[in-house]
Formats: sequence, C-alpha cells, structure tokens
Amino acid sequence: MPRYLIRRLGQALLVVAGVIVLTFAVMRLVPGDPAVAYAGPKATAAELAEARRRFGLDDPLPVQLWNYVRDLLHGDWGISLHTRQPVRDDLFQAFPASLELVGAALIIAVAAGIPLGVAAARYKGRLPDLSVRLSSMLAVSVPVFWLALALQTVFASGLGWFPVAGEYDASLDRTSPLHLYTNITAVDALITGNWPILTSTLSHLVLPALVIAAYPAGVVAQMTRAALIEESSRDHARLERALGFGETAVLTRFALRPALNPVLSLIALVFAYSIVNGFLVEAVFNWPGLGRYAADSIRSLDTPAIAGVTLLVAVLYVVANLAVDLLQGVVDPRVRAR
Amino acid sequence: MRWHKRLLAAGAVAAVTLTAAACAGGKVRGAADSTPQPGSSASAADSTFVYVPNLDVVTDWDPASSYSNEIIAMENIYESLTRYNPQTKKAEPRLATSWTTSSDGKKWTFTLREGVKFHTGKPVDAAAAKAAIERTIKEGKGAAYIWGAVKKIKAKDPTTLEFTLKYPAPLDLIASAGYASYIYDTTAASGDLNKWFNEGHDAGSGPYTIDSWQKGQETELTLKAFDDYWGGWNGPHYKKVAYRVTPELTTAWQLLQRGEVSFVQRLNAQLFAQAAGTDTVQTSQTPSFQNLLVLFNTAGGPLKDVRLRQALQKAIDYDGLLAAMKGSGVAASGLVPEGLLGSVSGMTPKQDLAGAEALLKEAGYGPGGKQLELTLTYAQGDSDQELLVTLLSSALDKLNVKLQAKPLQWTTQWDQGKSKDPSKRQDIFVMYWFPDYADAYSWFINVFHSEKDVQFNLSYLKNDAIDKEIDELPALTATDPAAAEKAYADLQNKIINEQAAVAVPYVQNYQRAYAKSVEGYVDNPAYPNVVFVYDLKPGA
Amino acid sequence: MTAPALPALRRTPLRRLAGVDRLAAAGAVLLGIIVLAALLAPWIAPYPDDGGSATHPLEALLPPSGAHWFGTDQVGRDVFSRVLFGARTSLLIAVAVLAISGVIGVVLGVVAGYAGGWARDVIMRVTDVFLAFPALLLSLALAVVLQPSVTTVIVAIAVTWWPWYARLTASVAASVATRGFVDAARCLGVPAPLIVLRHVLPNSLTPVLVQLSLDGGGVILTAAALSYLGLGAHEPTSEWGLMVQQGQTLFTTDWWVVTFPGLAILATAFAFNVLGEGLRARLSR
Repeated sequence: MPRYLIRRLGQALLVVAGVIVLTFAVMRLVPGDPAVAYAGPKATAAELAEARRRFGLDDPLPVQLWNYVRDLLHGDWGISLHTRQPVRDDLFQAFPASLELVGAALIIAVAAGIPLGVAAARYKGRLPDLSVRLSSMLAVSVPVFWLALALQTVFASGLGWFPVAGEYDASLDRTSPLHLYTNITAVDALITGNWPILTSTLSHLVLPALVIAAYPAGVVAQMTRAALIEESSRDHARLERALGFGETAVLTRFALRPALNPVLSLIALVFAYSIVNGFLVEAVFNWPGLGRYAADSIRSLDTPAIAGVTLLVAVLYVVANLAVDLLQGVVDPRVRAR
Repeated sequence: MRWHKRLLAAGAVAAVTLTAAACAGGKVRGAADSTPQPGSSASAADSTFVYVPNLDVVTDWDPASSYSNEIIAMENIYESLTRYNPQTKKAEPRLATSWTTSSDGKKWTFTLREGVKFHTGKPVDAAAAKAAIERTIKEGKGAAYIWGAVKKIKAKDPTTLEFTLKYPAPLDLIASAGYASYIYDTTAASGDLNKWFNEGHDAGSGPYTIDSWQKGQETELTLKAFDDYWGGWNGPHYKKVAYRVTPELTTAWQLLQRGEVSFVQRLNAQLFAQAAGTDTVQTSQTPSFQNLLVLFNTAGGPLKDVRLRQALQKAIDYDGLLAAMKGSGVAASGLVPEGLLGSVSGMTPKQDLAGAEALLKEAGYGPGGKQLELTLTYAQGDSDQELLVTLLSSALDKLNVKLQAKPLQWTTQWDQGKSKDPSKRQDIFVMYWFPDYADAYSWFINVFHSEKDVQFNLSYLKNDAIDKEIDELPALTATDPAAAEKAYADLQNKIINEQAAVAVPYVQNYQRAYAKSVEGYVDNPAYPNVVFVYDLKPGA
Repeated sequence: MTAPALPALRRTPLRRLAGVDRLAAAGAVLLGIIVLAALLAPWIAPYPDDGGSATHPLEALLPPSGAHWFGTDQVGRDVFSRVLFGARTSLLIAVAVLAISGVIGVVLGVVAGYAGGWARDVIMRVTDVFLAFPALLLSLALAVVLQPSVTTVIVAIAVTWWPWYARLTASVAASVATRGFVDAARCLGVPAPLIVLRHVLPNSLTPVLVQLSLDGGGVILTAAALSYLGLGAHEPTSEWGLMVQQGQTLFTTDWWVVTFPGLAILATAFAFNVLGEGLRARLSR
C-alpha cells in the first residue's frame, strides 16, 4: 500500500507541476507588461523598477517559474489587477458561490437524469424512450449561455416566477445577517436557521442551477439508460425474469444498482466541466461566483486572476481524482497492483 | 468495486471543496449591520436607494484626483462650494451660501455655511476648505486644472474664503465642477492620505458616508446616512445608497422591472421604449453635454499617417448610427455640444466611402492594396458603442481594413491607452467626454493638449500651435467671448479637419429609467450619471 | 465536421442506420442540411451581402416577415442570411479543430502506443496535464492572451482537444502492436517507421474517427461560447455565438436577434451528437 500511495501521489504531483508550468507559460504569453499593469500608469520609474523587482521580471524564465511556484506554495497567488486584492482572497470569496450553484445543479441532474434513464430503459424503443433520448440529446447540445438568457427572459422577466439575478436579496443582509461557516450561503443559512436568506437563495438558485443541470442531466439519463439496457440483458436478469419478477422490478431492484457505476463515475468528470460551464451562466445571472469573477477578469485583461481561476479549477480536479484513487486503493487491493 | 470508487469520487470532490470553502468561516455577512438598531427592521431596508451602473464604480477614492465613474458616489459623499443648476444655468449655494466678485473678476469671496461637519467630526471652515483646494491643486491630478486661474486662497475668518485669481474666471461655476472641486478634511489620516482614501475611507461633508466597499462584488458599494449632515434627516429621505454593478443591460432592466433596484443609469433604445410603457417604472430623457470621441492614435502605428485618419473619419456611417440608436443620441457638430460657448454649426460629419477609399489607396492600402489591421478599444456593455463598432468594422471590411475591436472595462481600456510603451497602445480609442463644469475648455485642455504623461490625450496629439491656442482659451473666455468663440472654432477645425485626431459621431441623450416610487428625480447633465440621492423622496 | 465522419458513414449506409435508429438518421439528415446550407450560403441566402459587411441601419430590428424570415438585427442585417453564413464559420472551426487535434493526437498516440517505455510515459503524463483542464477553461485562458479571432478559437480548442485522441490511439495502438501480423513484420526485418505507417496506424484509426465525429458538437459549443465571451470571431464575421452576444440586450424586446442563432447552435450540436451516438452504438455492436 505505501508503495502504491507514493506512486500515485508522485503522479498527481507531476500533473500538478505540469498544470502550474502550463498556466505559467500561458500567462507569460501575455503581450502586456505585468509590472506596468500592477504599478499603474501613474508609476514613476522607481516604482516601476520596484514592481519589476517584486515580480522578478528581470530574472531568467526558469527563475521566474521557480519564484512563481514558491509564491504559490506560500499562498501568494498574485494580486488581481481589477480588484487590487490578493487573488487567493478573491477566489476564496467567489468559489463557495460557484460550489453552491454547481452542487445544486448536480443534485437536479441526478434527481432528474436517473429516473428518466430508467423510464427510457423500461420502455426501450417506444415513445418514452424516444422522448427521453431526444430531450437528453437536446440538453447536451444546447448552448448554456443562450439557454440562460432564454430562461431568464421567459421565467424571470416575462412570467415573474423567479428572481432575475443575484444570489439572494441583498437587503436581507440588514434584516437577517448571515453567520458564515462554510461561506456557502445556502448551507450557512440552513445550519444557522436563517430562513429568509435560505428561501431567497433557493429561489435565486432555481434558474441558473437548471441551466447548468441541463448538460449533466442529459449525460446521466443517457448513461443510465445504456447501462440498464446492458445490465438487463445479463444472466442475472434472465434469472430474475424466470423467477417471475416484472420488467420494472428487474430494472429498478436488480439492474439499477450495478448500472449506476458508470453513471456515478460521470459525476466527478462532470463536476469540473459544470464549474466551467457555470462561468457562462453566472455572467448572465450575475451570480457572485468564479464565473463572474472570471468574466470580469477577462474584460479587465487581469492575467493573475485568470491564472488563479485556471489553476484552482485544474488543481481541484487533479486532487479530487487523486483522492478517489487513493480511497479506492484502500477498498480494493487489486487497484494497487495496477 | 467501481461502484465504490465512484461514490468515493463524488464524496472526495465534495470533501475537498468543502474544506477549501470552510477556511474562511466564522464571519458575519453585512457585518456593519450585525447589531440591528432598534426600529431598523423592514423599513430600513425599504429606504435603500439601489443604483445600477453597468461598470465598476470606484477607480480612485481620493477626492483630489478622482476623475472617473466614482463620481456617482462621490457627489453623494463630498460637497463642493457650489452646485450647477441646469435650468437657471447658474451656480447655486452648496457649502457656500453666497459669494461676491470684484468688478475686474479677479477676486472672489465665498461665505461658507455655518455648523457643517466633515464625516470625521471636524468642522468645515474656511481653513479646511483652503487646505482641501490647495492639496487638490498641489496633487495636480485628474481635473485639478480647473483651479488653474487661482493665484492665492485666503481664509479670512472661519466662514469667509477669498480667492485671488491670475486672470478673470467664472469661479462660482468652476467651484461647481463635478471633479476636483470637493471640500474634504485633509487631516483625516495621520499617514499617507491618498492611501487612506483608497483603502475605502472618506472625509467628506455630504449626506452619505461609505458603509462598505468591496471591489469586484456585485454590490460594490453601499453608503449610509451621515447623521450630522447639515441638511438634517427630517422628512422622507433614503437612508442608504447601494451601487449594484450589473454589466448586462437586460438584467439591469429586469431587476428594475421587478422592483429590486431603484435606478438604472442606462438602457438601450429598445428597453427604454419598453420602460416608457411600463407602469411601475418612470423614465427621463435629457439632452447631455456628453459626446462620443473616436480618438485616432496620431503618434504611433499606421494611423500616424494623417490620410488614414481622415479615411477612418469618412468610413463611419454617422447617419446610420444615429438611425440604429433610435433616439439615444443626436448628431454632433464638432467637439463642443450645442448649448456651450464654442459650439459650431455645419461640422456635422457624413460618411464618404469613396473618399475613404481614395485616401486609403493614396497611402498604399485599400481594396487591392495592403491589408490594414487596426486595433480599437471601447467600453464593455455600452450598446451604442457596440453599434458604432459593428458599423465601422463592416464599412472598413469593404475597404480591406481589418478592425480588431475589444470591449474592456474602463480602467483596463484606459490603462492600456496610457501605456508608457507606445507599441502597447491601441490605434483607436472610443470614449465619452463631458465637461467638468459647464464650459467647453475641458475637451481641449484634457483631450487634445499635449501631456508629458498621458492621461486623457488618448489621440496622443502633440502640436505646439494647438497647445498655445488652448492655453489662451480661459483668459479669452473671460475677457473677450467673441474672440474665444473664434478660437474654439479654429481649434475644432484644426483638430478635426487638419489633424484628423478624432471623429465625433454623436452627442448622447441621457435615458434613465427608475422606479415609480422614487420621487423628485431631476437629471443634472452637469454631473453625468449622478443621482443626488438626498434630494429624493422614497415614495410608496 | 463530416470529413472524419464520412468514411464511417460509407461503411454504414444511411438506410441501414435508419432502420436501427431513427434519431441518428434524423441527425444525419439535419447535419446534411446544415452542411448544404453552409456550402450554398452565398447562393441561397436572400441577402448574401448581409452575411458579410453590408449594413442597413435604417432597417434595424424589423420583426420576422416575408422579406426577412428571421427579422433583422441591430444594424439592419437579415438574420436568416447571417445564420446561414454563420454555419460556414462554425463548421470551418469544427473541421479545423478536429483535423488538427486528430492529426496531433493520432501521431503522438501511435508513437506512444507502439514505442511504449519512456516515450509512452512522457506522452501520457503530458496528456494528463492537459486533461486536468476542462477544455473550455484552458481555451479561455489561451484566447484571452491571444488576439481574438477565428484562428485563435481554432488553436485554443485544438490545444485542449488533442490529448483525448492521443490517449485513445495509444491504447488501441498498444494492442495492435502485440498482434501477430506486427510481430511477423518485425521478424521480417521491416523497419519500425514502416510498421507503424503500414500496419499500426491504419488499424488504430477507426475508433478515433468515430470519436472525432462524436466531438463535432462539443467543438461547436465551445467555439460558440468563446465567441460569446468576445474571445473569438469579430464583426463583421457571421458567427452564431457572436450574434447571441451582440443581441443579448435585445432578448426581451427583439427576441429574434438572439433566438435564431441560438437555435442554429443547438441544431448543429444536436445533429452531431445524435449522429455520433448512433455511429458509436452501431460500430460497437
């Protein structure tokens, strides 16, 4: 086990190192001079020199890369050009909101996708199957930014069923201030029993979460259907049928659990994808998450901030995968031999 | 076994992210209000005025150098000696209750309001006002040039402030400027005052003071009532002002329609028309002194060639743009909008594609010649500028000119324009300009006078003859208006026709939409986009 | 777009496919229509100049009518014509991205798969790094630092796309390399490059080609998203994502400006996805 752990850990570190190098390389392609951008247009020559020293821009590239890594390890992710605050602080502030949104979206996706997949498998080749396949295909093909605009226009602006934008009614900050523990508004409101903010947050969540849920829901429905169909053609299903179980029972009682393996494997994959997809949605709904931060950063050509977002999402992805593999290694000895 | 692995996967993702998120726990959001005052429950929330700008609010908190979008907040935090009234076209009392001028116009005496306090607790007296104006002049940033005529300031007694001028100038008007005219407490911080300001502190005397400021957040800024404001808080007033940055016009409009916000700075023509027909919303349309400048890089890049700049002037579809804007602007004639001394007629530009093509050909470009590639920067989220960009890039495309247009946040666009390295500057810079007080001088001294370090001369024009003529404008305006008029006309001819440093496509109409419950709103075009919230009544 | 998909189609005639899967057949038909529309855009568009640099500001924002089926946009261009021309941009991007990333991926994948050892390790670790970025994220970062243009979009997406094909090809090539005829060739003294070219490569291609046809939808969605963020095509190019972005402030008042380009993206991505899914199901049988 320790050997496996070390090997897998080494691999992950290698990937993280690569991710850092790649991010660094991309950011060094920037045409602008970070020192000028940081010191500001009013900077004197001395201030500019100081900024250059601070950023180590006079050093050779490998040294700059080393400094970059060292700063990252010390928790210094650079200073955002547009908020003038440490990128790390900005990310800590924005990330929980994104997590809230994507979390809600994934819950919707699983809650909708699995039953739809089951229904499609149960009535394979018939109308329910066709309509589930059709709608799941549409769900994975729809451009999210467009869907966001459409839902906002129809359900928020037109029908007035949901709030237009924002995370919750900001005036509630005054009447029922929220104590922060996880920084995720809905979670904190729930654990502190802050109902006004909880209900406000949930109603603000519905539309953007639905938009982000479209893609994972479609994928989950397709995977569930495919896995169920495969599972129900296996020997154990034949046996169950012979024992007199109905088709629905065969599917839901016996085939569903093993069929969910590949479906759940998607969740980790789809998680990072959804966070990035959320970027496009957050801008439309003015959701105060990573996406809005990234969109603002893009409009401000704020490279430290963009690098920070990129790095955070990529590292998160790597770490999550690593954790999965390690835990899996504990559960299943065969994995270690791989 | 894969089943477990995937469950673990989901769990691990959740665990990793939760730990990441949990690091900053234990705080209270809206901490300034964490101890609810008695009687400040639901009604307190109702008297918040929510202003929706489409760009970030604050770029500079220092009242000496502030010269950008933050004016919408600054004018509610700080006060100047006078305020311009667009109806009477005169300056009215603000911190000064009355003023007199000597017969030669070179000595001005202001009587200050008594019993006024800064938010720091210090009294606003003549000495403090003198210190503030002198600091602003000394810093010499932003619009500090407005005090250019001032030779000496004297605090004769706590309520009497005396200015001695180098040449006659309308100081009551100058003191009403939207920028650089603020009176503030120069002793507010023990250390570096500029740094203190830019940490999000204020030292004004206005009705509101900074409550919280979070750069980059949706609700970037909230202001709260200053209890000791000289005007008092009797009668209905908004007790709080929130600035909620909403880049998307549609979102802004929907927020207003649903009553979540009070005031939207700007809508496009279609939404404005819809707003006019909506019961819960009021609209106001006011002609402004704000025009759009398309500034060409005269100092570097391909546009150094004046023929190319002239070709660009001719390529803009001015009439088409106005038609597509559907009422949010009117045709411009020259640099100075109608209603100000110095505006000229007969300079309304027209598109001339054949002329543009001929000029391009002469310079070796155009259809059949080399492809010309140009970069343009403009304000993100401004649909009128977007129309201009669409029309211009389409027209240029026919002329074998490729336009690389980038929508940016103002600060970024501006920083890039001011870049010390000329190769990093854009070829075309699109921005609005408006006077700092009701006078045309601002367009010339700020935008077309040469500068050692670039601030707003974003065409990078450097022409000694033009500089000299601009420098003579203030004195001329005060002594010989007819000659000033001629000088303005001559300058506009030189800048637009001879140098082709700029194209002026339109003068904006301010189109505001605000909640029906807001009572008493008047647009004051001398303070662009500013809502004087204290003057409003929160209605039902 | 269809370049990689066509060989697969030939082996699986449309009619047979249709018998199995109506949805996939519908996708094929839809995609055919879109390809035709893109190819014939200059001839079938009612106002071909509007697909390029023409503007008619006096006719701005006319609602859909007989003269303008999809209405006109904010500078009076015929939205229907621009949607047709937009198909060219989108399909061009898709073809270019898939071709570039397919070639890079297959070459590296075959090398990794056949050579094994440290070459395989290096290539696989590099793909690991690239795969750690969600495609849109890395494209986004790249598109920010490069000048926005259609070329930038192609490069930015291709950079994130090739590792998938490298991995896929590597695993297939590795199994092909152990097959008898490769061993035989090796024993006969055929040089390694020739073995790779003659035997390993052709036998590793099919899964990649199927995968390529599956990914067309993803490329089109990513490209549209980049243009929507202002990082891709720019005026006066007809591009669907850009059209949505330019018109989004008009959604509540002039719905047609945004609705039709959005539907076009949806339809194209849908056609690719449905067709790819059908192909995969068919070939994996």
